[in-house]
Amino acid sequence: MNLFKIIADLEKVDPEMTARLTHRRSALTLLGDLSKKFALAAAPIAIGSAFNKAMGQNTLSAVNDVLNFALTLEYLEEDFYAQALAAPTLAANLTTGSAARNAIQTIKNHETAHVTLLKGALGTAAVARPASFNFGTAFATYASFLTFAQAFEDTGVRAYKGQAGTLKTAGNPNNVLQTALQIHSVEARHAAHVRYMRRAVDPLAASQYGWVTNAEANGAPAAVYNAGNPATTFPAESNFTQAALDLRTQLGTTYTAAEVSEAFDEALDNTTVLAIARSAATF
Amino acid sequence: MSKHLQTPETGQDLGGALQKPIQRRSFLLYTGATVAATGLLLAGCDDDDDNGTTTTVNLGSGDVGVLNYAYALEQLEAAFYAQVVATPYSGITADERTGLTAIAKHEAIHRDFFKAAITSVAASQIIPGLTPDFSKVNFADRNSVLTTAKTFEDLGVAAYNGAGALIKDNTYLLLAGKIVSVEARHAGYIRDLLSNGDFAGSDVVNASGLDRALSVADVLAAAQPFIKEKISGDNVGK
Repeated sequence: MNLFKIIADLEKVDPEMTARLTHRRSALTLLGDLSKKFALAAAPIAIGSAFNKAMGQNTLSAVNDVLNFALTLEYLEEDFYAQALAAPTLAANLTTGSAARNAIQTIKNHETAHVTLLKGALGTAAVARPASFNFGTAFATYASFLTFAQAFEDTGVRAYKGQAGTLKTAGNPNNVLQTALQIHSVEARHAAHVRYMRRAVDPLAASQYGWVTNAEANGAPAAVYNAGNPATTFPAESNFTQAALDLRTQLGTTYTAAEVSEAFDEALDNTTVLAIARSAATF
Repeated sequence: MSKHLQTPETGQDLGGALQKPIQRRSFLLYTGATVAATGLLLAGCDDDDDNGTTTTVNLGSGDVGVLNYAYALEQLEAAFYAQVVATPYSGITADERTGLTAIAKHEAIHRDFFKAAITSVAASQIIPGLTPDFSKVNFADRNSVLTTAKTFEDLGVAAYNGAGALIKDNTYLLLAGKIVSVEARHAGYIRDLLSNGDFAGSDVVNASGLDRALSVADVLAAAQPFIKEKISGDNVGK
């Protein structure tokens, strides 16, 4: 086994692999420095991680892995809204009894319910809640908060969608697929409302509706709406091809790219989803 | 392809189809318009009575049954919003008009997509164009229109959520997933128009934070009053 040739080959496929991922670079550098014996022992882990990062894709196959991935996202969302509701900087916007506060409280309650549900399903296999989530400057302004909320909700929709096939392939025990779909559509309802709330306060979002037009981020991180990996399975939200049909021109009626992109949400692989989450929060 | 199905924006066919004598003519046009109709499982096709005899449309079985099921619901939604756009309710705002026009496009795209997709994989099994019955909807009244829209969107979400596990092919499952979240976005938007903050009301999202998932039978029972033909979905997904 020529370990270093594999790494070199990976870098040919993705030249930025090591530069992009600092901690991976450390691991790879470490491999080069250590004795051959230790390097080989560590190789499967390092290669596995580096390969997943380099190639993106869904790396989950077991039901529990999917549920723990979902649980991590729900921990994040729950904590995000809990922090928002308690943030002094948002108090003037999220006043007691206001429509805005009620909506955020409703969403927070759903995320808490999702955490409870997923933890219950996983039992002792549930991942621990991270010690803390640091959302940086997310709560500095009301507009910033809503921008983060939009990013998390739209990402959440893509994340659940990206795991449906995995749950099916894994045998769909206890109809876990349906439960995931039932969470998925609630996240989409949240997304629609948050996007609508944001219109009123953020000029960048002034013309957006509850649905995603093309891959327009309107101030949210572009990665939320861009392609995942592989892009053929996880295209950007601007995708206009479904089931090999160009929906703009091959449906008997002509539709615009914007209309077609709005009509279909796109899925995202778990690796890309977690990268987005970690770009918005430290945990 | 029937011209009927290509001009949803006008809503003309649908309005005309509300009248009973035209219902039968529409049916004949639909069946005559497509060779695919030869494979349709239609009960009562040879019944020439117009005295209340109902045509039955069987959605079929397996994944094609699920696709036909979705196609039937999308036909209903597309027809509804086409009428909403053609005859906007009294007092509609420019913003509402933009939003509802966008939804009308999305539903028309869903309908046309299923028609094209089913035709490509199982042309002999595609259901015909259905005849909507919106006689109980007052299209001039905002509350009547939006309440009906809410019913359709919430029902669509629950239908896709319930049908996911029936789908055998992961490609179709992913496609359904791509559509259901758009329906949920519609549902949230429409519900907020009726009552701001009701995007995920407790009538549709339970204490566990789960949206509804309904069986084919329950969905068809709710949709049937809006469709002239009798829809049979007994074998969908089987």
